[in-house]
Amino acid sequence: MRMLWYAFDEALSSLWRGRRSALLAMATIAIALFVLGASLIVTGNLDRLGAEWARAAELSVYLSDEVTPVDRHAIELAVARDDVTAGHEFVSKAEALRRFKQTFGDLAAAVDNVGGNPLPASVEVRLRPGTADGPGVEQLATRLRQMTGVADVRYDRQWLTRMLRGIRVIRGAGFALSSMLTLAAVLTIANVVRLALHARRDEIEIMQLVGAPRAYIRGPFVMEGVIQGGMGAALAVLGLGVVFAVLQSGYLMPLAGALNLSSVQFLSVSACAALVAGGMAVGCLGGFVAGFRS
Amino acid sequence: MVETSHLSKLYKRGVYALRDLSLTVEKGEFLFLTGPSGAGKTTLLRLLLREELPTEGELKVLGRDLRTLRPSQVQTFRRSVGFVFQDFRLIPRFTVFENVAFVMRVLGLPATTQQRKTFQVLKWVGLQHRIHAFPEELSGGEQQRIAIARALVNDPQLVLADEPTGNLDPDLSLEIMNLFREINTRGTTVIVATHDRELIRRVGRRSITLEQGRLVQVA
Repeated sequence: MRMLWYAFDEALSSLWRGRRSALLAMATIAIALFVLGASLIVTGNLDRLGAEWARAAELSVYLSDEVTPVDRHAIELAVARDDVTAGHEFVSKAEALRRFKQTFGDLAAAVDNVGGNPLPASVEVRLRPGTADGPGVEQLATRLRQMTGVADVRYDRQWLTRMLRGIRVIRGAGFALSSMLTLAAVLTIANVVRLALHARRDEIEIMQLVGAPRAYIRGPFVMEGVIQGGMGAALAVLGLGVVFAVLQSGYLMPLAGALNLSSVQFLSVSACAALVAGGMAVGCLGGFVAGFRS
Repeated sequence: MVETSHLSKLYKRGVYALRDLSLTVEKGEFLFLTGPSGAGKTTLLRLLLREELPTEGELKVLGRDLRTLRPSQVQTFRRSVGFVFQDFRLIPRFTVFENVAFVMRVLGLPATTQQRKTFQVLKWVGLQHRIHAFPEELSGGEQQRIAIARALVNDPQLVLADEPTGNLDPDLSLEIMNLFREINTRGTTVIVATHDRELIRRVGRRSITLEQGRLVQVA
């Protein structure tokens, strides 16, 4: 405990003496973790969007106007018996028109002008969670297309697949960028600590000559790195919070609404804590690398 | 206390800093190492403090074979040895008190012990009134007395000093030597490296002379 207190005390004094370079190191790690945090926020919300879309994914079976009750029954039976379906609903031509007018009120007059009801009847199929991007849906769609009375089959798989691929790319790019920035942060911290080490070489030599435990010699440098890393990470989380709060009402919520996402979420408390802990670990590594030769 | 047998130190460039040195220093003895610059005095002190390892020969200090000590054992060994430099090596940003207490601080001793022992040793070197001064405010003699206080504060069994009067005038040099004599009369073994033969004559203790790394005279 005494050693920890000594290391903390010495690290704070050293940081204050070299505050300019320490600020630079903190800014570097703050930028690295800001990018990582932003990437986590974006991919986290995209994951949720993907999950919500997958849950809401529907397969629409459009029926031809000439479909007979027997054909329709056969189609509904084929849907109901398939493993990928969670349920289905028949939407008549009249119901389809009513829903269209409700959703697109401005276009209702245009539909009336066309004369008659141009919208087809359909069977809306709810898919089981986790099956939307699987092969079973494709097989069901192929079978349905071949049935009498089916005009077309549409479902969201391509969208989902593209979106999931996009999420993976964004996540990979975010991690790659933040990894490079984190490496830069480690090197910056190591150099700042090395400067502090150089400034205190007389003290270190005396410590070595009087037989100070190695923990007392290296501890302050490692602690210096930990403090820089922790403060940089805390700055990053604070910055993310401020940017998120500023963008939330003006941009993020309308965007979420447009994408049918229930809400846009910030990082969880545990993710914030993990970011700060990660920053401290990065700083610790930098301090250890610099202090290793002492 | 110190035993060397056929001790040699060869540096990479092929120069022997010490060659075939056999020497015994008894507990409680005061010994001068003398000789011209480059004779091997500092190398011998560095070997005795286990800052370097000998190339050949045996080296025992305080009953320990320094050639076989592990790093953690080196730390423990050095806590029994005090070291005084020619250029004092005080830490400029520390006060007199902090410079002396620093040794105990990094050894993890309690604050009350640090205070008590620092006051004691500063009183002993006669500088208790400069406790809040910084090194740059002190004269050369005062700085060396602080350095001696720092070497003594941990109650070492052996004190090594490398040209401790090299930066001081003759009167101050004798004053510093008197401090070493007092340390020695308390039972601490003292080894002082100096090229000042007049000072050795005035203090009147055993001396060995080195030249080009070899022992050439015992007086």
